[in-house]
Amino acid sequence: MAHSERHEELVAALVLGMPLAADAAELEGHLAGGCAICDELLSDLRSAATALAAGARPAAPPRELRARVLASLGPPRAPARSPSGAGGRVLAAAAALLLFAVVVDDARLRRQREDLRSQSADLAGRLQSAETRLAERTLRARVLESDDVQLLLLGGKGPQPDARGRVFWSPKARRGVLVAASLAPLPSDRQYEFWVFLAGKPVAAGVFDADVAGNAVFESTALPEPGAQNFAVTVEPRGGVPAPTGPVVLVGST
Amino acid sequence: MSQRRDDPDGALMARVEARDADALAQLYDRHAARLLGLARRVLGGGGEAEEVLQDVFLFAWRASASYDAARGSVLTWLLIATRSRAIDRLRARQSGPRAGGRSLEELDVDPPAPDDVEAGSADRQWESICRRAVLELPGDQRQVLELAYFEGLTQQEIADRTATPLGTVKTRARLGLMKLRERLRPYMKSGHHGA
Repeated sequence: MAHSERHEELVAALVLGMPLAADAAELEGHLAGGCAICDELLSDLRSAATALAAGARPAAPPRELRARVLASLGPPRAPARSPSGAGGRVLAAAAALLLFAVVVDDARLRRQREDLRSQSADLAGRLQSAETRLAERTLRARVLESDDVQLLLLGGKGPQPDARGRVFWSPKARRGVLVAASLAPLPSDRQYEFWVFLAGKPVAAGVFDADVAGNAVFESTALPEPGAQNFAVTVEPRGGVPAPTGPVVLVGST
Repeated sequence: MSQRRDDPDGALMARVEARDADALAQLYDRHAARLLGLARRVLGGGGEAEEVLQDVFLFAWRASASYDAARGSVLTWLLIATRSRAIDRLRARQSGPRAGGRSLEELDVDPPAPDDVEAGSADRQWESICRRAVLELPGDQRQVLELAYFEGLTQQEIADRTATPLGTVKTRARLGLMKLRERLRPYMKSGHHGA
């Protein structure tokens, strides 16, 4: 289809994260047709939109936040909270063991990384997968600090029957970790979106990308409470949508 | 729009990809205040905005390979990540206080940079250019862009809130962004922050 103002409207809406479902499908079809004008426009308007951020007054972060951010990069320096009570002590011990495993694993991964630097580019995917596993363990350790952690297995569905996943979540902490594998690569304007079902209705819980090996570890720290009944993952326009519009690729049940 | 090859952020990102934590710390020092300001503009004060900031830098660390200089500057990448995470939380919140809704006129045109931010004069100049470009937009176009960007409203929600036809909202969003693009293009083409 020839480029028109209509497509510029759709690109603008996409960049602002507010396309209507039907519009998103129309734009996807247009971009798939190879419109060079829209390709450039998408990049330009994405940058132009960030000019709006200049309207937000810079805010000096608390001093301790910098240390927290840097500590979160690697498990050996990850801060550990102290759960209270007998159950908390058991879970704290479990978390400590898990963190120990992560530390050991991290050292191993670092050695692997040094080796891989000198090898061919196709090994990069393996490294990324190893780092994904490390991130998974780190995040699981964090969630396991909660004394009400739950686990749900997700199975592949629709266009991605081989996809699989696990969700560890703490209703009390409103925090959950999705660990997924065998996810298909997506076009640059698409992202996976994580949903939690409450009273049968999906609530957006964040968007994420899979790595080149199809693995993903996504932490949602905004789970609604209480009583998550189910979780699902759909394919949506980049940035996410407030209600699912794309195909379900992962789903589970409690 | 081209990316300047020798920009310090690009060099830092290359080091982050090689797992240099000091490089990430430098990125934090350069941009944390801007990103936290954006998160607070969307979410209001409190711990959530700080959690967003932490999420963004963890994302930058874990997904550094996904940064593509051809698609925009490092700052653009970080701002998009911040905004999307803040909007995610805003939508998940579903109810409660919102900080959004303030217009640019309510903010200082040239807010003082925090002392601990290593932002150079070029960065502040760029922010000033951006603010001016936004302020020069017609009010109705700026309103649509701000409602979408800072409050995460859909086109229909903006139409409802402003009592404006949906088609008009779409047109204003397009015109507003296209004007921003034209006004910022000379600076982007010269290799500054935007793209």
